[in-house]
Parts: sequence; C-alpha cells; structure tokens
Amino acid sequence: MSVAATRGAPYHRKPWLKRMADSSEPYLYSAPALILIVVVMLVPLVLGISYAFRDIQLLNPFSGGYIGLEHFRALGQDDAFYRALKNTLWWTGASVLLQFVFGLILALLLDRPFWGRGVVQALVFLPWAVPSFLAGLNWAWLFNPVIGPLPHWFFALGLMDEPGNLLSDPRYAMWGPIIANVWWGIPFFAITLLAALQAIPRDLYEAASIDGANWFQRFSSITLPFLAPTIAITVLLRTVWISNFADLIVVMTGGGPADRTQIVASYIFTQAFKRLDFGYASAIALVLLGLLMIYSMLIILLRQSLINKD
Amino acid sequence: MASIDIKNLKKAYGTFSVLHGIDLLIKDGEFIVLVGPSGCGKSTLLRMIAGLEDVSEGEIQIDGLRVNERHPKDRDIAMVFQSYALYPHMTVAENMSYSLRLRRAAKETTARAVSAASQKLGLDPFLERRPKALSGGQRQRVAMGRAIVRQPKAFLFDEPLSNLDARLREQMRAEIKKMHADLKATSIYVTHDQIEAMTLADRIVAMHGGVVQQVGSPLELYDRPANLFVAGFIGSPGMNFLEGRAEDGGLRLRDGSLVVLGALSKDLKGQEVTVGVRPEHVVLHHEGEGMSARVDLIEPTGFGIIVHLQLNGLPIKVFTLDRSALSCGPNIGVTLPAEHLHLFDAQGIRQGA
Ligand SMILES: Nc1ncnc2c1ncn2[C@@H]1O[C@H](COP(=O)(O)OP(=O)(O)OP(=O)(O)O)[C@@H](O)[C@H]1O
Ligand SMILES: [Mg+2]
Repeated sequence: MSVAATRGAPYHRKPWLKRMADSSEPYLYSAPALILIVVVMLVPLVLGISYAFRDIQLLNPFSGGYIGLEHFRALGQDDAFYRALKNTLWWTGASVLLQFVFGLILALLLDRPFWGRGVVQALVFLPWAVPSFLAGLNWAWLFNPVIGPLPHWFFALGLMDEPGNLLSDPRYAMWGPIIANVWWGIPFFAITLLAALQAIPRDLYEAASIDGANWFQRFSSITLPFLAPTIAITVLLRTVWISNFADLIVVMTGGGPADRTQIVASYIFTQAFKRLDFGYASAIALVLLGLLMIYSMLIILLRQSLINKD
Repeated sequence: MASIDIKNLKKAYGTFSVLHGIDLLIKDGEFIVLVGPSGCGKSTLLRMIAGLEDVSEGEIQIDGLRVNERHPKDRDIAMVFQSYALYPHMTVAENMSYSLRLRRAAKETTARAVSAASQKLGLDPFLERRPKALSGGQRQRVAMGRAIVRQPKAFLFDEPLSNLDARLREQMRAEIKKMHADLKATSIYVTHDQIEAMTLADRIVAMHGGVVQQVGSPLELYDRPANLFVAGFIGSPGMNFLEGRAEDGGLRLRDGSLVVLGALSKDLKGQEVTVGVRPEHVVLHHEGEGMSARVDLIEPTGFGIIVHLQLNGLPIKVFTLDRSALSCGPNIGVTLPAEHLHLFDAQGIRQGA
C-alpha cells in the first residue's frame, strides 16, 4: 500500500491526520453557522410540527400524549376552519390587490418631480413605521361611532343608514381590517415599486415618445416590463405575509362578529391563546404552512416557465 | 422631409440661461452638424427640436408650422440617442417596428420597412435577438434602423457614434453619409468629432456658450473662420495664435520682439490684433532662413509630423509631411506665409478677407 501511494503521489504524501483535517476544513468552518441554523430554526420547527400530532391542552394536565392524525381528522370536519380558509382568501386577495394598486399609483405619482417631493415621500412612508397593533387600535377607533369620525362621514355620504360601527356589521366587518391593512401596507409597495421605477433609464421614455407612444403605451411597453420582476416578487412575498398576518384582525375584531373576520392565522391564535389548545392550533398551522408552500411552489414554477420563455 | 426654422430660440433652466437666441434655417434635405465645446447647449437645442424640452422663448417651425406646443410624438421626427435607448424587452425587429406598430401601420408595410432597414444596416442575422445580446456597433445600427423605418420628417442625432471605437466610428460615419445620400432626409447631427463634422455636414453650426458663432460649409469654417472661437475650435491640431500690436513689417509682441509677417492691413496699424495661422501652413526652413525658432518637441503621427516650436517665447505648432523634420537640430527657421494668415481684431472678429 505504501508502495502504491508513493508511486501515485511521490511528492505529495501527507500524514492521514493532515489529509483528514484538510478535507474536513470547509465543514469545520461552516459548522458554527450550520449548528446555529439547526438549533434556531429546525429544532423549534420540528417541535412545533410534533405538537400537531399530540394532544396538548394547557388546562388539561393529563394531555400531551401522541394521538396521530386525530387533530387533522377533527380539522376536516371543522366548519369554522373552512370558513376561516375562505375568509383568508378574501382577506389576502383584497388586501394584496388594493395595496398593490394604490402602491403602484403612489409610486408613479412620486416618480415625477414636484415641489416638496422629499417631504411627501417621507410622509407617505410613515404608516409603515407604525406598529401593527397601534395601527389596528387606531383604525378600530376611527370606525367606532362614539370616538371616530368615519361612521359619521359614511352616514353623511349615504353609505350607511345610521352612523354605526362597521366592525360589528357581519356583512361588512371584513372591510375594516382590510382598509387598515391597505393603509398600513401601501408604503411597502410604493417603496419597492418607486425604487424599481427610478432604475428605468429616462431616455427610453424619451425615445418612446418620439416614436409616437402616448402615456399608456409608454407605461405598457416600458414601465410594466421593467416592473414585472419586482411586482412578481413583492406580490408573492406580501401574499404569504398577509395570509399569515393576524395582528390587525385580532386587535380590531378578534375574529368576530360571528367569526365573519376569522382568518386561518387568527383562528390559530384563538385556538392557541383563547382555548389554550396548542395541539389543535399547531395542526391548523401545519395545514396553513402546507398551503402556502404549495402556493409558493406554483409561483416559482410559473416564474421559471416565464423565464424560460424569454 | 421638411425644413426646420428656428427663430430667436431661448432656453433657461430657472434663472440659468443656456441658449441665448438661436436663429437657424435648415433647408429640406440638408445635413446640419452642430459642434461646440461641452456644455454649450447642443443637446439642449436638439432636444428642444424633438420636443423633449420646453421652449423658453422663440419659435420652432417644421415645414412652416409652429411646433412649440406639440408633443414629441406629434412632431414626426426621429432621434438617435448617444445611449441608443433601445427597448431592452423587445427584439431587434420589435424595436425597429415599434413606431410603426404604434401608428397601426399594416402588417405587410411594417414587415417590409423593417426588412428593408435591416438589410441596409446588415442586421438580418440579429432580428430576433434582444439588444442585450448585441455588440455596441450592432446596437448603434438598431438605433439607426429604428429611426429610418418610419421615414420621419427629420433625423436628429446626438453624438450617435461617440460610444464606438475609432475604426467602427469611421465605418458608421461612411454609412451615415451614404444613408443621407440615399434618403435625402433633413438631418441635424451633434458631435464633438472634427472629422465627423467636416465629412458629414452640408453646413456646420459652430456654437459657444449658447450662441451660434458661425454657420457655413465645412470649408468655409475652416478657411475663413468668423472669429477667434471658430478659428481655434475647428481644425486639429488647432490654429496657432499670436497676439500683439500691428506694425509695419509685422507684429510687435508683448515682450517687444517683432514677428516678421507679410503686409498687415493698413487700417489695423497700431491696433491690438491676433494673428492666426494653421499648423500646416507654417513653413519650415533650415536654420538661418526666416525667423529663428527653438524646437521643443517632435511628434510623429505616422501620417505627418507635428513640430512644437518656441517663436519669440510663443508656442507654435507646425504640421508637416516632410520627414526630414524628424532630424532637425535644436533650432530651425520658420516663415508664416502672408496668404495663409487669419487676422482678428481685439474683439476676436475676423478682419479682411
Ligand atoms: N435640467 C437641467 N437643469 C439645469 N441645467 C441644465 C439642465 N440640462 C442641461 N443644463 C445645462 O445646460 C447647458 C447645456 O447642456 P447641453 O446638454 O445642451 O450641453 P452639450 O452642448 O450637449 O454638451 P455635451 O457636448 O457635453 O453633450 C449645460 O451647462 C448644462 O449644465
Ligand atoms: Mg450633449
């Protein structure tokens, strides 16, 4: 063996310990980061997932046993869950769409020079800095006819029969958190889209207007293609984020009236911290995780196929 | 095809005045080249004609119609940008056909126009590519193609060749010249490049500080520059200038020495003047003949030789094709032939013929 080794690499023979140290070097360097990731991310994730298969109720000292798919079976028959799922679609779709549309309009307005643009830009981005719980409280008060002006304005405009609280009307209650969410989330789209807009070379617009394009044609043949990647990624991110985002709902309506504003995320919150059934809450969370992962996969596939077409 | 009439055109950004009243009549089919130092307002003038900048004062007429208030898209003018400004999300063919598609031209007309242009510019192999996948020269051609497919009333070029290397620039220059001979389209062309200006222009417009200094054919500007600015700006290497007082027999320099010149015009005698002479017109002799000058530096360019001299302490450049200049001694004789002298008064205005 030593003969073979000598013949194979006569000048590079190293002791085996050294060779081993050499080959494990990259792993050793990355080990701290890997261990940290495993401890910080994977362990809690696995623990959380394991709750979904156990009976964990804070008020029941005898709970904690493994019950297999029992939670999921219960979930399959839980009407409140299906309603929450439907509400989640509605909540996420309306919020993302409105945030995007208004964010884009705002970005387009802020993209052209006008006097005092710097100040306006700073002001516009303010809602983003407001903590979500504060935003929720603020809007809850605005919708409250006793202290807030909004119901009286709606009444004056003829939108309401009497200045009542939008949040307690089962038909329209969902609009309350959606409006608050749109107000709160517009800056995110405005900031990212404005950054993308400002990266578009101005001379393209000049060339297009000399070529005979009006505003809409310039928008559709220059602005949109340039914004498309940013739009795709921000909409994807915000969709996942907002469907998980229960702060405003918990603060403003707590899921009521009559579960009309209960989304899956707030349902998880209710199950975990009101009913104190952590096992069931984890099972719902796992389903939500699965759905969001499927959604992300679909988007990534879509993106891939779009890129390949280019 | 159209004539463009610019009347007392002024442009100011806030209180900062860029153009101070430009008057220019461009005839139908003419090739006009705008030259001038950086920042003199060439691009501003071009962009005002295109409608990309508002007019502060004055009037622009295309074919006798005032277009000041018209949007660029309604002026029927094509522009080639220095940066090319190709639409990155469109293929070469789509880039070229964009203006026609906006006009809802018939599909066959569009296809024919694009294929004619791409053939003329040698773009056929690239029609389905994105601009990203083209070289600088090819992009430049696409920008040209985009301008010519729609047969506009006029072409505007803002330093279209300045991003190309010297060889490619030479080639594109010739192609632009051919194209103009072909299409006979009214063109306004901005450049820094002397040779582009001299070779392409029907008339050159020399600008300085937002004011037109001289308008004329290339040779007119070269042979009879109207003022010191044009004299110094046109030509490379630049004209030599000697400042002093006109006297019998020559020019009395500031340091009191006399430069022997042919007869200066009588009515200038005693006045402060500037005498200009182009480097290729200075005649070199063996030492002892003419005025004596010290040789500072010799630059062979391959084509000719540039000799830097000191004549009574003044720097003089000489351009000669005679290679024996390469081996001249530390001193040399020069004469400044009277028939090639340009005379400017104290205000820098050309005097005499
Ligand atoms: N938007 C603007 N605001 C203020 N000043 C401007 C603006 N655009 C141009 N200028 C000024 O106008 C003057 C002329 O600019 P212009 O671009 O026409 O010069 P140019 O002759 O094309 O120069 P170059 O050869 O370097 O391209 C410059 O002094 C420039 O600083
Ligand atoms: Mg310029």
